[in-house]
Order: sequence, then C-alpha cells, then structure tokens
Amino acid sequence: MPKILHVDPSLTRQKTVLAIKSIPIHAYDTPLATERAALGDGRLRRMLRDMMIIREFETMLAGFKGQGAYAGIKHIYAGPAHLSIGQEAVAVGSAAALDAGDHVFGSHRSHGEFIAKGLSAIQKLGGDALSQIMEGQAGGQLLRTLEGRLGTNDIRQRAEQFLLFGLLTEILMRSNGFNGGMGGSMHAFCPALGIYPNNAIVGGSAAIATGAALYKKLHGQGIAVANIGDGSTACGPVMEAMNLAGMGQLTNLWDEAYQGGLPVLFLFHNNFYAMGGQTNGETASWDRLSRLGAGFNADNMHAETVDGTNPLAVMDSVRRKRDLLIARRGPALIDAECYRYVGHSTTDASAYRTKEEIEAWRSVDAIAGFALSLKAEGILDDEAEAEMLAGVKQTIQQITALSVDPEASPPIDIKADPFAVGRLMFSDELATLPGGGALIAPAETCSRVTQLAKRSRVGKSPEGKKLSAMAAITIRDALFEPILHHFQHDPLLIAYGEENREWGGAFGVYRGLSEILPYHRLFNAPISEAATIASAVGYALEGGRVIVELMYTDFIGRAGDEIFNQMAKWQSMSGGVLRMPLVLRCSIGSKYGAQHSQDWTGLVTHIPGLKVVYPATPYDAKGLMASALAGNDPVVFFESQRLYDTTELFQPEGVPTDYYRIPLGTPDIKRAGKDVTILTIGPSLYKAIDAAETLATEHGIAAEIIDARSLVPFDYDLVLTSLAKTGRLLLVSEACERGSFLMTLAANIQRFGFKHLKAPVEVLGTPNWIVPGADLESSYFPQAHDILDIVCNRLIPDLARPATGDRLWDNVALARQGL
Amino acid sequence: MDIELVMPVLGVEIEEGQMRAWQKSEGDSVIQGEVIAVISTPKLDMDLESPATGVLKTIIVDEDEIAAVGAVLAIIEADEDDATD
Repeated sequence: MPKILHVDPSLTRQKTVLAIKSIPIHAYDTPLATERAALGDGRLRRMLRDMMIIREFETMLAGFKGQGAYAGIKHIYAGPAHLSIGQEAVAVGSAAALDAGDHVFGSHRSHGEFIAKGLSAIQKLGGDALSQIMEGQAGGQLLRTLEGRLGTNDIRQRAEQFLLFGLLTEILMRSNGFNGGMGGSMHAFCPALGIYPNNAIVGGSAAIATGAALYKKLHGQGIAVANIGDGSTACGPVMEAMNLAGMGQLTNLWDEAYQGGLPVLFLFHNNFYAMGGQTNGETASWDRLSRLGAGFNADNMHAETVDGTNPLAVMDSVRRKRDLLIARRGPALIDAECYRYVGHSTTDASAYRTKEEIEAWRSVDAIAGFALSLKAEGILDDEAEAEMLAGVKQTIQQITALSVDPEASPPIDIKADPFAVGRLMFSDELATLPGGGALIAPAETCSRVTQLAKRSRVGKSPEGKKLSAMAAITIRDALFEPILHHFQHDPLLIAYGEENREWGGAFGVYRGLSEILPYHRLFNAPISEAATIASAVGYALEGGRVIVELMYTDFIGRAGDEIFNQMAKWQSMSGGVLRMPLVLRCSIGSKYGAQHSQDWTGLVTHIPGLKVVYPATPYDAKGLMASALAGNDPVVFFESQRLYDTTELFQPEGVPTDYYRIPLGTPDIKRAGKDVTILTIGPSLYKAIDAAETLATEHGIAAEIIDARSLVPFDYDLVLTSLAKTGRLLLVSEACERGSFLMTLAANIQRFGFKHLKAPVEVLGTPNWIVPGADLESSYFPQAHDILDIVCNRLIPDLARPATGDRLWDNVALARQGL
Repeated sequence: MDIELVMPVLGVEIEEGQMRAWQKSEGDSVIQGEVIAVISTPKLDMDLESPATGVLKTIIVDEDEIAAVGAVLAIIEADEDDATD
C-alpha cells in the first residue's frame, strides 16, 4: 500500500480487452548439426551417457525394491524409490544449461536431477574446486573410502564416483551418505554441487526455490530451479510461489540495484500423472500446463512447453530462461513434457493407464532416440554406444557393491550412539554479527528511535503508578529494539510479512523501520502465508537470516507444511550440513473470535526441530528476540496482542537500553513464594500475579510464580527446585487444554518431580471449545478467580474458599463428551 | 471564528495519544485538509488534518506531550469565507 502507487479509477474503469501473448509449444527445431557445431561431439556424447547413468542407477534401485538384487548384488532396500525412468532428458537437458553455482531444488522423484546436476557441475568446476568439495564432505571421509577401493587418476572420474556413492549411500541411509543418512531417497542433496533439498512434499520446492532466488538476487549469483511435477500445479503454495517470485514491487518499488523479478525457474517435469490421477484431462483444469504462465504476468512467465524427451530441446529452453532470469526478468516457467514408464512408486501397478500408452511413449524414448540422432549425425556408432553403456553399467555396479558393503558404508549405529539423530535437531550455534547492515538513513534519524529515547524504561513512576503505553517502553518497543540492532549489524537479515513496511506490521512492531530500511530488507508480502514461510526457509538455508511474520497465529493452518515439514526439518535432514536461521513471529489475538484468538503453541511444540518462545514482559521479549535472531536454529516466536502495550513491571531497573540476550529455554521466577508454584505461559502471568496477591493478603499463602518464557527448549530444573519447596503446582496458559504444551509440562513434571508432590499437578488452560466473541472472553481465558478456585479447592483444599469462577468442572465427564 | 483541533478518537480502547510533531508553527496559514501535525498511539502514527482554512493561532499541546482523546490540541482561526461556507 505505498502511497506512490496511485489507484486511478479513471484508468482502471476503462473499457478494453486483456491481450495475452501466445505461448510457444514445442518450438524447438534447431538442426543437430548446428548444436554439434556449438557444443562439440564430446558434450553431446556426455549428455547421452548422463542419461544412461540415471537410468542404470534407477534400474538398480528398481532391482533392489522388486527382486532384492541388481546385477548379482543382493540387497533388501526398505525405503522409497520414486523412479523417473523415461524422464531422463529433462534432468540432463536442464542441468546442461545450468552453471555449477545455480541451485536446483527437487521433488520426491529427483534422483535424475541430482545426478544430472552433479555431473554437470563436475564438468564445469575446476579440479581444485572438486578436490575441495570432496575433502569438505564429512572431513573427506567419503573420498577416503573411494580412494582405498576404486582406482582412478582422473579427478572428474573420482568426482563422478563421489557423486554416485554419496547419493546411493544416502538413499540406503548409511552414515556416509551425503546427508549422513538423514535424507534418504526423497531428500538427498549436496549443496556444494548446487544440489539443494529434494522435497517429499509435492510442490514443496516451489516457494523454497523462490526464497533461494531472493537470496541469490540480494547476496549471491546465478539462479534457483524448482524441479516440480505437473501434479504440483494443483497445490496452493506453488501458485503462491509463482506470484511471490514476480510481485510488482520487485520492479516498481525496489532500489535499482535489486530491481526485477526473482531469478527462479519453475521447471515442471510434466509426466502427465499425479500419482495415478491424470492431470491433463482429469484432475487439472489446464489443457497445456504452460498456460498457467499467462495467469501471472504480461510475459506469461516466459512460459513454453518443450519436448521433454529431447535433452537438446530442454537445454535450449532452460538456457534462454536462464538468460532472462539473469537479466532480472524472472520468474520463468517451463512445461517439459515427458513420461515415466515405471509406476509412481514400486507398489504402483499402473492400473490407471494402458500398456499401449506406455509402449507409445517407449517408442519415443529419450535415450534410444538421442542415441539414434547422434548416430545419424555420425557422432556415435553402435560400437561406441555399446561401450558407453557397458562403462556406465560397470560404474553403477562398482558403486552399488561399495554402497551395500557395511564395511565401506556403515549403517548408522544407533545403539552405540543413541542421540545420533537427536543431536542433529538443533545447531545451538550463536552467529557473530558481522556489522554493516545496509540502511537508507542512519538509525538515529528513525522517528521511532527518537520517540523511544524519551520513554521511561520502567513501567512504573517513582511513586509506584503504572505508566501508560505512551510513556514507557512496551513489549512492542522491546521487540523493535533488538530487531533494529540486528538490522544494523547483520547485512544478511531481511524481514517480510503482510503489512510489514509502511504499516510496520499490523500491530506496529516495525513502525518506523521503513524510514531507514531499503525495500529489499523490509517488504510487504502477499497474503500467502505458505509461500512467505517457505521462501524464508529457502532464504535461510542459502545462508541468509530472516524474520517473517504471521499476522495471527491462527494462520499457521495456511502454512502448516511450511512450518512443520520445511522450517522444522531441513537442518536435521541435511545431516547438519544446513542451518535454518529463521524467526517466525506469530501474534496471538483476542476479541476477534474463534479464528483470530487461538494460542496454538501446542501445535509447534509438538513438531521436533522448532524452538518455541512466548515472552510476557518487555524485558524478556527484548532479550529472547535478541537470542532468537542471534541463533542459527528456527524459532517460532509467539507474541500476545493483548500484551503489546504492556510495560515492564518486574525488572526494577526496567528494560535496558543496550542490547542483551536471554538464553532460550530458561523459565524465570516472577514472584517468589514457598507454598504453591504457579507456572504460566504467556499473558496468564498477569492473572497469576493478581491471584498471588489475593492468596497473600486473604489467605497468607505465598505463591511462587514462574513464567515459562520458552517452551522448546525448556529447563525443568527451576520448576523442580520450586516444587521441592512448595510440593504443589498449577500450570496456566490460554491454550485449549487438550494436547496443549501445559499437558506436556504437567506430565513431565509429574514424572520428574513425583517425590516432591503433595497434590496432583493441576492444569488450567482454556476449555476445549472455540474462543467465543469478545464479550465472553473472560469466561474462556483463565482469570485470577479461576486460579484462586483451583489453588484453594484442589491444591490446598484446607483453604476451602468458596468458588468464585466456574472452572471447577468435572473434567472426566467433559472428556467423555469430547470437551 | 476560532475552531478547535482535538485529539481524535483513535480506537475504542485507546484513551490517549501523543503529539509526535507539529508540521506548522503558530501564525502559519493552514488549508482545510492539510496535514498539520502527526500524532502517535502505541501502535501507529497518524496524520492530523486541519479542520479549516485559516491561521494556526495557538498550539496547546506541545510535541511529545500526551493528551486524552477529545483534548484540544490547537486553535485554528478560520478565514471569514471558510467559516461561512
């Protein structure tokens, strides 16, 4: 909503027609002689050989899955094998057009792209670079294994062995796989060769590649490629990604140095089937996949349909798209029509298609067809072809024998190291801030900075009167300060989300930042929660650091896969190769009813791989945000809309002006006591403080109030120490009790601190029904009187205080009703 | 004719706002609809437009001061023509 973009009704209301440019279909007709003159015979022969390698590699996997053997090598492989036999020309043709530094992101069916991109990079990189890459893989371990067992003096041949060996051991989930066996068939990757995560979620790579392209635009070079299937055109996040990659501000509003659409190629490997559903004619509305380009911009995303059985047609197209992307005219779309002869997976009996159809496509087979063309042109003869195939088979057989050999490729020994997987969940690294973050004006000139300089750092006047949100630093301000600090000192940091720029975020946390940050560091995202978070994942795993915002926590549902499967998992699934410095800010609403007021902390704490924070005071918010931004792990940072105006009421010195960090995972005593412990998450802290006041004045009970502050990680020691003193514990938060993090805490504390307990651990969340409208909220979110009722009637029954709330329910009866 | 410029209603739950900056000084001419001040709530900054064409006669709430919703921030002396419109 920048004011410089004027929406003029006199223009928008004019009668006109929308002219849509035509989209080329199978336009490639370059004679092979011309290609031969440009590429040379060696390169053309290599393309044929690369396709043979892919097919033989996948034939081997099919053998392991189907017969438990390949070429006399016996092996039972239990994992997935989504094969691309028949589609090799798309992988090889596209990789041939890419630079070593271009990055490909794939799908569950990406062995072919992996091998093709790797082989292409091996040809394009120098010997020193290849040595460095091989030495850099697990400290040179994979290379040492090869050196002792397979002879060669040729660095490229060695690199080829390295590529195939690292991939196959990864697929077989051996400890020396490229990702330490944590990725497997559907998620193998090797960033050093430009092969980025292959993704088991259909279309998952579209927005991740888009974010990688954003990183490349701002800090890197080359392009990002999303290798995705025709089935993924039906996935919302893919549509979101194609919009994000070409959004108008990139050319209209961003600084000249960064102008233009993102350098991302959406390369659809269109094999006509989405598992067993036939896209064209059955499950898709488009007749030609490339038609989709017309929906996104006047260039049709430079879309075209190409013959995916001809590697040269694919190479020609990818090369032209790459030129456009480098010229900042992205994004681009290619519909590469191809066909897989094998099933979706090895359990697919192809009940949805005819034998005639499969045979018809076999008759235009990429490998056989290309070999015939080369022979017709005199580039190859029968003997050379047979020799080439024999060489390929020998290579795959050698690599396979080595990969199944437990001595050369040891399985992960989980007995010897029970935490081998667990250790990969978080890096727990703290980054050093390099300094030099680009600003368009000095931070001191920011109106917000001058405004905050005049505010009180403590929330109470010397006379003990609470100061208003206009007079003292609030949580909103306390979040702003470390974010500004990191923008000043971390040149790779960017932030985006809905209404993030002029508005400063719907709740004003970033207010003022647009005065000092250029567009490319702070921008308004489309209402595309999935693509926003997935692109942040791509930006982060490329080496950047990013804060994205969900305006309401309730919108997590719109980005479930992106949070649960992408943001949470790539660090560990990479076997520690990648980092995920991504902070996702989620504000928890109130007063707006059932779809805008939910505390969904329990959803993200359930997912391994995410750190989760929910501060309730300005002091904590500032220190925890600083730690979240300094760490290299993904953090979901919850904020309460009800608390944005809250000033600092606990720290006597107030919120420090200087930058400081509070380690994630440390709960904090907000009020000391000896009779009962109340552990709160989020805004419930303030209700507990009110209740503690009443307990002290009316009953002489000293409640100890602990604010969890962080949920993952969580250090139980402080709570257990408190419990040893009090013997009684109540947990309070504003999340639905069933499946909540409170229940996790309750179960764990009961296990860890049973010997201290004088009464069962009590839990007070919200009822297991929808958040009602604003007027009924006080009956829904736990109030001080609800806390008093439970403390006085269940935890310390001697107090026998008459109930004042209505939360002393029969929870067993409610559960029976699903409540 | 004197016209009062008041702290507007900024939201049902917001009771006060802060004078961020005056864009005009006492004695300056102002035009109806022209932005003459910026006020802040904890969440956002908001432009304040002159309610009349005339002269900014008196500033009552200075920069950085906090004022309740409805409080008089300044007096505008409206032009005769404007006042009779």
